[in-house]
Amino acid sequence: MMQASPLNFRRAVIWLGRLLLGGIFIYAGYAKLTYPNHNLWPYFMLKFSLAANLSTFAFQVESYKVLGAAGSAVVARTLPFVEIALGVLLLVGWQLRIWASVATAILLGFLVLVTRAYLLHMEINCGCFATPEPISLKKIFQDGALLLLALLMTVFAFQEARKPHPWTAAPSD
Amino acid sequence: MNRRRLLVNLVLLSAAGLSVSAALLSAGVPGQASSVPDVDPHRAYGSKNAPIAMEVFSDFQCPACKQLNKTTNQLLVDNYVNTNKVYLIHRDFPLPMHAYSRLAAHYVRAAAQLGKGEQAEQTLFQNQEKWEQTGDVDGTLAGVFTVADMTKIRALAKGTSLDAAIDKDIALGKGYNVNQTPTTIIHYKGQTYPVVGVVSYDVLHQFLDQLLAQH
Repeated sequence: MMQASPLNFRRAVIWLGRLLLGGIFIYAGYAKLTYPNHNLWPYFMLKFSLAANLSTFAFQVESYKVLGAAGSAVVARTLPFVEIALGVLLLVGWQLRIWASVATAILLGFLVLVTRAYLLHMEINCGCFATPEPISLKKIFQDGALLLLALLMTVFAFQEARKPHPWTAAPSD
Repeated sequence: MNRRRLLVNLVLLSAAGLSVSAALLSAGVPGQASSVPDVDPHRAYGSKNAPIAMEVFSDFQCPACKQLNKTTNQLLVDNYVNTNKVYLIHRDFPLPMHAYSRLAAHYVRAAAQLGKGEQAEQTLFQNQEKWEQTGDVDGTLAGVFTVADMTKIRALAKGTSLDAAIDKDIALGKGYNVNQTPTTIIHYKGQTYPVVGVVSYDVLHQFLDQLLAQH
Protein backbone atom coordinates (compact mmCIF):
# COMPACT_ATOMS: atom_id res chain seq x y z
CA MET A 1 0.00 0.00 0.00
CA MET A 2 1.44 3.42 -0.91
CA GLN A 3 2.41 5.53 2.01
CA ALA A 4 1.91 8.90 0.33
CA SER A 5 -0.26 10.10 -2.53
CA PRO A 6 1.79 10.88 -5.62
CA LEU A 7 -0.16 14.12 -5.98
CA ASN A 8 0.24 16.69 -3.30
CA PHE A 9 0.32 20.47 -3.24
CA ARG A 10 4.03 20.69 -4.07
CA ARG A 11 3.81 18.39 -7.07
CA ALA A 12 0.66 20.13 -8.30
CA VAL A 13 2.48 23.48 -8.23
CA ILE A 14 5.45 21.94 -10.02
CA TRP A 15 3.20 20.56 -12.75
CA LEU A 16 1.31 23.83 -13.06
CA GLY A 17 4.57 25.76 -13.25
CA ARG A 18 6.04 23.48 -15.87
CA LEU A 19 2.97 23.59 -18.08
CA LEU A 20 2.15 27.26 -17.71
CA LEU A 21 5.65 28.72 -17.64
CA GLY A 22 6.92 26.27 -20.25
CA GLY A 23 4.10 27.23 -22.59
CA ILE A 24 4.53 30.95 -21.96
CA PHE A 25 8.28 30.87 -22.58
CA ILE A 26 7.84 28.94 -25.82
CA TYR A 27 5.15 31.33 -27.01
CA ALA A 28 7.21 34.38 -26.02
CA GLY A 29 10.21 33.18 -28.02
CA TYR A 30 8.06 32.14 -30.98
CA ALA A 31 6.25 35.49 -31.01
CA LYS A 32 9.50 37.45 -31.07
CA LEU A 33 10.66 35.45 -34.10
CA THR A 34 7.40 35.62 -36.03
CA TYR A 35 5.85 38.99 -35.13
CA PRO A 36 5.14 41.41 -36.75
CA ASN A 37 6.42 39.97 -40.03
CA HIS A 38 5.42 36.38 -40.74
CA ASN A 39 6.30 35.55 -44.31
CA LEU A 40 7.58 32.00 -44.50
CA TRP A 41 8.07 31.70 -48.26
CA PRO A 42 10.19 32.05 -50.33
CA TYR A 43 13.29 31.33 -48.25
CA PHE A 44 14.82 34.77 -48.66
CA MET A 45 11.54 36.28 -47.38
CA LEU A 46 11.69 33.98 -44.36
CA LYS A 47 15.24 35.14 -43.60
CA PHE A 48 14.25 38.76 -44.08
CA SER A 49 11.14 38.44 -41.91
CA LEU A 50 13.12 36.83 -39.09
CA ALA A 51 15.86 39.43 -39.33
CA ALA A 52 13.32 42.27 -39.46
CA ASN A 53 11.47 40.91 -36.43
CA LEU A 54 14.69 40.58 -34.43
CA SER A 55 15.65 44.09 -35.50
CA THR A 56 12.31 45.38 -34.19
CA PHE A 57 12.80 43.44 -30.94
CA ALA A 58 16.28 44.93 -30.57
CA PHE A 59 14.69 48.37 -30.74
CA GLN A 60 12.23 47.38 -28.00
CA VAL A 61 15.11 46.16 -25.82
CA GLU A 62 17.05 49.37 -26.45
CA SER A 63 14.02 51.47 -25.50
CA TYR A 64 14.48 50.32 -21.87
CA LYS A 65 17.69 52.40 -21.93
CA VAL A 66 19.71 49.80 -20.03
CA LEU A 67 21.78 48.48 -22.92
CA GLY A 68 23.22 50.28 -25.90
CA ALA A 69 22.58 49.36 -29.52
CA ALA A 70 25.19 46.59 -29.59
CA GLY A 71 24.03 45.01 -26.34
CA SER A 72 20.41 45.19 -27.41
CA ALA A 73 21.26 43.46 -30.69
CA VAL A 74 22.95 40.60 -28.81
CA VAL A 75 19.96 40.19 -26.49
CA ALA A 76 17.52 40.35 -29.41
CA ARG A 77 19.38 37.65 -31.31
CA THR A 78 19.66 35.25 -28.38
CA LEU A 79 16.73 35.74 -26.03
CA PRO A 80 13.98 34.27 -28.28
CA PHE A 81 15.94 31.04 -28.71
CA VAL A 82 16.80 30.89 -25.02
CA GLU A 83 13.11 31.30 -24.17
CA ILE A 84 12.05 28.52 -26.53
CA ALA A 85 14.73 26.17 -25.26
CA LEU A 86 13.87 26.97 -21.65
CA GLY A 87 10.18 26.42 -22.31
CA VAL A 88 10.82 23.01 -23.85
CA LEU A 89 13.10 22.00 -20.98
CA LEU A 90 10.48 23.01 -18.42
CA LEU A 91 7.77 21.06 -20.24
CA VAL A 92 9.93 17.98 -20.55
CA GLY A 93 10.99 18.28 -16.92
CA TRP A 94 14.63 17.31 -17.43
CA GLN A 95 16.99 18.71 -14.76
CA LEU A 96 14.08 20.70 -13.44
CA ARG A 97 15.94 22.25 -10.52
CA ILE A 98 18.43 23.90 -12.88
CA TRP A 99 15.98 25.17 -15.47
CA ALA A 100 13.38 26.23 -12.94
CA SER A 101 16.10 28.31 -11.26
CA VAL A 102 17.05 29.84 -14.63
CA ALA A 103 13.41 30.63 -15.38
CA THR A 104 13.03 32.28 -11.97
CA ALA A 105 16.14 34.39 -12.54
CA ILE A 106 14.94 35.48 -15.99
CA LEU A 107 11.48 36.38 -14.71
CA LEU A 108 13.02 38.33 -11.83
CA GLY A 109 15.10 40.26 -14.35
CA PHE A 110 12.00 41.01 -16.46
CA LEU A 111 10.06 42.19 -13.40
CA VAL A 112 12.87 44.51 -12.32
CA LEU A 113 13.12 46.04 -15.81
CA VAL A 114 9.39 46.49 -16.25
CA THR A 115 8.99 47.99 -12.77
CA ARG A 116 11.89 50.36 -13.38
CA ALA A 117 10.39 51.47 -16.69
CA TYR A 118 7.02 52.05 -15.01
CA LEU A 119 8.51 54.08 -12.17
CA LEU A 120 10.46 56.20 -14.65
CA HIS A 121 7.22 56.84 -16.57
CA MET A 122 8.76 55.42 -19.73
CA GLU A 123 6.11 55.19 -22.43
CA ILE A 124 7.47 52.12 -24.12
CA ASN A 125 6.20 48.72 -25.15
CA CYS A 126 6.91 45.76 -22.91
CA GLY A 127 8.31 43.67 -25.78
CA CYS A 128 7.34 40.54 -23.85
CA PHE A 129 5.43 38.96 -26.71
CA ALA A 130 6.64 41.32 -29.46
CA THR A 131 3.18 42.96 -29.67
CA PRO A 132 2.58 46.65 -28.94
CA GLU A 133 1.83 46.26 -25.23
CA PRO A 134 2.46 49.37 -23.11
CA ILE A 135 3.95 48.96 -19.65
CA SER A 136 1.33 49.27 -16.93
CA LEU A 137 0.63 48.24 -13.36
CA LYS A 138 -1.34 45.28 -14.72
CA LYS A 139 1.78 44.08 -16.53
CA ILE A 140 3.81 44.33 -13.34
CA PHE A 141 1.25 42.26 -11.44
CA GLN A 142 1.20 39.66 -14.20
CA ASP A 143 4.98 39.37 -14.17
CA GLY A 144 4.94 39.25 -10.37
CA ALA A 145 2.46 36.38 -10.40
CA LEU A 146 4.55 34.42 -12.90
CA LEU A 147 7.67 35.06 -10.83
CA LEU A 148 5.91 33.78 -7.71
CA LEU A 149 4.87 30.62 -9.53
CA ALA A 150 8.41 30.12 -10.84
CA LEU A 151 9.86 30.65 -7.38
CA LEU A 152 7.46 28.16 -5.78
CA MET A 153 8.14 25.66 -8.56
CA THR A 154 11.88 26.01 -7.99
CA VAL A 155 11.69 25.68 -4.20
CA PHE A 156 9.36 22.69 -4.40
CA ALA A 157 11.52 21.05 -7.06
CA PHE A 158 14.49 21.21 -4.69
CA GLN A 159 12.36 19.86 -1.83
CA GLU A 160 10.96 17.03 -3.92
CA ALA A 161 14.42 16.08 -5.13
CA ARG A 162 15.46 15.31 -1.55
CA LYS A 163 12.68 12.78 -1.16
CA PRO A 164 12.31 9.53 -3.06
CA HIS A 165 9.26 9.24 -5.29
CA PRO A 166 6.56 7.38 -3.33
CA TRP A 167 6.06 4.88 -6.17
CA THR A 168 9.70 3.90 -6.03
CA ALA A 169 10.06 3.99 -2.26
CA ALA A 170 10.33 0.65 -0.54
CA PRO A 171 7.07 -0.24 1.27
CA SER A 172 7.33 -0.18 5.03
CA ASP A 173 6.47 -3.27 7.05
CA MET B 1 8.64 5.61 -18.87
CA ASN B 2 6.17 8.44 -18.12
CA ARG B 3 8.84 10.95 -19.01
CA ARG B 4 9.59 9.23 -22.30
CA ARG B 5 5.92 9.23 -23.19
CA LEU B 6 5.75 12.92 -22.34
CA LEU B 7 8.69 13.63 -24.61
CA VAL B 8 7.14 11.72 -27.50
CA ASN B 9 3.85 13.55 -27.02
CA LEU B 10 5.68 16.84 -26.95
CA VAL B 11 7.48 16.11 -30.21
CA LEU B 12 4.23 15.09 -31.88
CA LEU B 13 2.45 18.18 -30.61
CA SER B 14 5.28 20.44 -31.80
CA ALA B 15 5.20 18.89 -35.26
CA ALA B 16 1.46 19.36 -35.44
CA GLY B 17 1.75 22.94 -34.25
CA LEU B 18 4.40 23.78 -36.83
CA SER B 19 2.32 22.30 -39.64
CA VAL B 20 -0.69 24.34 -38.64
CA SER B 21 1.39 27.49 -38.31
CA ALA B 22 2.94 27.00 -41.74
CA ALA B 23 -0.48 26.55 -43.28
CA LEU B 24 -1.98 29.55 -41.56
CA LEU B 25 0.85 32.03 -41.87
CA SER B 26 1.01 34.19 -44.93
CA ALA B 27 3.24 33.08 -47.77
CA GLY B 28 3.59 36.63 -49.07
CA VAL B 29 1.17 39.04 -50.54
CA PRO B 30 0.07 38.41 -54.12
CA GLY B 31 1.65 40.71 -56.63
CA GLN B 32 0.13 44.13 -57.17
CA ALA B 33 0.51 46.63 -59.97
CA SER B 34 4.07 47.75 -60.27
CA SER B 35 3.05 51.42 -60.45
CA VAL B 36 2.45 53.00 -57.09
CA PRO B 37 -0.66 55.20 -57.02
CA ASP B 38 -1.15 58.73 -55.70
CA VAL B 39 2.43 59.73 -55.18
CA ASP B 40 2.93 63.24 -53.86
CA PRO B 41 6.03 64.37 -55.74
CA HIS B 42 7.01 66.59 -52.81
CA ARG B 43 7.22 63.53 -50.57
CA ALA B 44 8.97 61.16 -52.96
CA TYR B 45 12.70 60.85 -53.55
CA GLY B 46 14.74 59.27 -56.27
CA SER B 47 13.97 58.15 -59.79
CA LYS B 48 10.45 56.97 -60.68
CA ASN B 49 12.11 54.43 -62.97
CA ALA B 50 14.04 52.78 -60.15
CA PRO B 51 13.47 49.01 -60.05
CA ILE B 52 12.31 49.09 -56.43
CA ALA B 53 9.66 51.39 -54.95
CA MET B 54 9.38 51.72 -51.19
CA GLU B 55 6.42 53.32 -49.46
CA VAL B 56 7.15 54.11 -45.82
CA PHE B 57 4.06 54.65 -43.70
CA SER B 58 5.07 56.55 -40.60
CA ASP B 59 3.84 58.71 -37.76
CA PHE B 60 5.94 61.64 -36.54
CA GLN B 61 5.10 60.91 -32.91
CA CYS B 62 6.07 57.23 -33.16
CA PRO B 63 9.42 56.39 -31.47
CA ALA B 64 10.00 53.43 -33.77
CA CYS B 65 9.56 55.69 -36.81
CA LYS B 66 12.14 58.05 -35.34
CA GLN B 67 14.52 55.11 -34.92
CA LEU B 68 13.95 53.98 -38.50
CA ASN B 69 14.57 57.48 -39.75
CA LYS B 70 17.73 57.82 -37.67
CA THR B 71 19.36 54.45 -38.31
CA THR B 72 18.15 53.36 -41.73
CA ASN B 73 16.66 56.05 -43.93
CA GLN B 74 19.72 58.23 -44.43
CA LEU B 75 21.89 55.28 -45.43
CA LEU B 76 19.09 54.08 -47.69
CA VAL B 77 18.96 57.46 -49.40
CA ASP B 78 22.73 57.65 -49.79
CA ASN B 79 23.23 54.14 -51.13
CA TYR B 80 20.02 53.26 -52.93
CA VAL B 81 17.85 56.29 -53.62
CA ASN B 82 20.65 58.51 -54.90
CA THR B 83 21.95 55.68 -57.07
CA ASN B 84 18.53 55.19 -58.70
CA LYS B 85 17.94 51.76 -57.22
CA VAL B 86 15.05 52.74 -54.96
CA TYR B 87 12.18 55.19 -55.36
CA LEU B 88 11.34 56.23 -51.80
CA ILE B 89 7.86 57.52 -50.99
CA HIS B 90 6.93 58.93 -47.58
CA ARG B 91 3.35 58.30 -46.53
CA ASP B 92 1.68 59.82 -43.50
CA PHE B 93 -0.14 57.42 -41.21
CA PRO B 94 -0.89 59.36 -38.01
CA LEU B 95 -2.07 56.94 -35.35
CA PRO B 96 -5.17 57.86 -33.30
CA MET B 97 -3.33 57.55 -29.97
CA HIS B 98 -0.82 60.29 -30.93
CA ALA B 99 -2.45 63.65 -30.34
CA TYR B 100 -0.10 65.80 -32.40
CA SER B 101 1.06 63.52 -35.19
CA ARG B 102 -1.52 64.78 -37.68
CA LEU B 103 -0.50 68.36 -36.94
CA ALA B 104 3.13 67.39 -37.49
CA ALA B 105 2.19 65.76 -40.81
CA HIS B 106 0.49 69.00 -41.88
CA TYR B 107 3.59 71.04 -41.17
CA VAL B 108 5.94 68.61 -42.91
CA ARG B 109 3.74 68.50 -46.01
CA ALA B 110 3.56 72.29 -45.99
CA ALA B 111 7.35 72.51 -45.73
CA ALA B 112 7.66 69.91 -48.49
CA GLN B 113 5.78 72.21 -50.85
CA LEU B 114 8.60 74.70 -50.33
CA GLY B 115 11.15 71.99 -51.02
CA LYS B 116 12.05 71.73 -47.32
CA GLY B 117 10.17 68.59 -46.37
CA GLU B 118 13.26 66.56 -45.58
CA GLN B 119 14.61 69.24 -43.23
CA ALA B 120 11.25 69.54 -41.46
CA GLU B 121 11.01 65.78 -41.08
CA GLN B 122 14.52 65.49 -39.60
CA THR B 123 13.86 68.37 -37.20
CA LEU B 124 10.64 66.88 -35.89
CA PHE B 125 12.09 63.40 -35.44
CA GLN B 126 15.20 64.70 -33.71
CA ASN B 127 13.13 66.78 -31.27
CA GLN B 128 10.28 64.34 -30.92
CA GLU B 129 10.49 64.06 -27.11
CA LYS B 130 10.11 67.82 -26.73
CA TRP B 131 7.22 68.69 -29.02
CA GLU B 132 5.17 65.56 -28.33
CA GLN B 133 4.66 66.73 -24.71
CA THR B 134 3.35 70.17 -25.61
CA GLY B 135 2.30 69.86 -29.24
CA ASP B 136 4.52 72.80 -30.14
CA VAL B 137 5.32 71.65 -33.66
CA ASP B 138 5.30 75.25 -34.88
CA GLY B 139 7.87 76.38 -32.33
CA THR B 140 10.11 73.41 -33.07
CA LEU B 141 10.22 74.18 -36.78
CA ALA B 142 10.51 77.91 -36.19
CA GLY B 143 13.88 77.17 -34.63
CA VAL B 144 15.30 75.96 -37.94
CA PHE B 145 13.43 77.86 -40.65
CA THR B 146 13.57 81.54 -41.49
CA VAL B 147 10.72 83.82 -40.52
CA ALA B 148 9.68 84.13 -44.16
CA ASP B 149 9.63 80.38 -44.64
CA MET B 150 7.70 79.82 -41.44
CA THR B 151 5.05 82.32 -42.53
CA LYS B 152 4.54 80.39 -45.77
CA ILE B 153 4.60 77.04 -43.97
CA ARG B 154 1.98 78.17 -41.45
CA ALA B 155 -0.29 79.39 -44.24
CA LEU B 156 0.07 76.13 -46.18
CA ALA B 157 -0.33 73.98 -43.05
CA LYS B 158 -3.78 75.46 -42.46
CA GLY B 159 -4.93 74.45 -45.94
CA THR B 160 -7.60 71.76 -46.29
CA SER B 161 -5.87 70.16 -49.26
CA LEU B 162 -3.25 68.77 -46.89
CA ASP B 163 -5.97 67.02 -44.89
CA ALA B 164 -7.18 65.34 -48.06
CA ALA B 165 -3.64 64.23 -48.94
CA ILE B 166 -3.09 62.77 -45.48
CA ASP B 167 -6.46 60.99 -45.60
CA LYS B 168 -5.49 59.53 -48.97
CA ASP B 169 -2.27 58.15 -47.48
CA ILE B 170 -4.21 56.64 -44.58
CA ALA B 171 -6.69 55.02 -46.98
CA LEU B 172 -3.81 53.61 -49.01
CA GLY B 173 -2.24 52.25 -45.85
CA LYS B 174 -5.46 50.57 -44.82
CA GLY B 175 -5.59 49.01 -48.25
CA TYR B 176 -2.24 47.41 -47.44
CA ASN B 177 -3.54 46.38 -43.97
CA VAL B 178 -1.17 48.78 -42.26
CA ASN B 179 -2.08 48.90 -38.57
CA GLN B 180 1.13 50.05 -36.94
CA THR B 181 4.05 52.23 -37.78
CA PRO B 182 6.52 52.15 -39.29
CA THR B 183 5.35 49.88 -42.07
CA THR B 184 7.30 49.75 -45.32
CA ILE B 185 5.76 48.40 -48.49
CA ILE B 186 8.43 47.28 -50.93
CA HIS B 187 7.37 46.92 -54.56
CA TYR B 188 9.50 44.96 -57.00
CA LYS B 189 8.56 43.39 -60.33
CA GLY B 190 4.87 43.34 -59.54
CA GLN B 191 5.39 41.75 -56.12
CA THR B 192 4.65 43.52 -52.86
CA TYR B 193 6.59 42.84 -49.68
CA PRO B 194 5.17 44.47 -46.53
CA VAL B 195 7.67 44.93 -43.72
CA VAL B 196 6.53 46.04 -40.29
CA GLY B 197 8.75 47.54 -37.64
CA VAL B 198 12.22 49.00 -37.34
CA VAL B 199 14.37 47.26 -39.91
CA SER B 200 18.07 47.94 -39.48
CA TYR B 201 20.01 49.09 -42.52
CA ASP B 202 22.15 45.91 -42.45
CA VAL B 203 19.05 43.73 -42.79
CA LEU B 204 17.36 45.98 -45.34
CA HIS B 205 20.31 46.36 -47.66
CA GLN B 206 20.87 42.59 -47.78
CA PHE B 207 17.23 42.16 -48.78
CA LEU B 208 17.35 44.93 -51.38
CA ASP B 209 20.55 43.52 -52.86
CA GLN B 210 18.92 40.11 -53.09
CA LEU B 211 15.94 41.59 -54.90
CA LEU B 212 18.16 43.56 -57.25
CA ALA B 213 20.21 40.46 -58.02
CA GLN B 214 17.06 39.04 -59.56
CA HIS B 215 16.83 42.08 -61.89
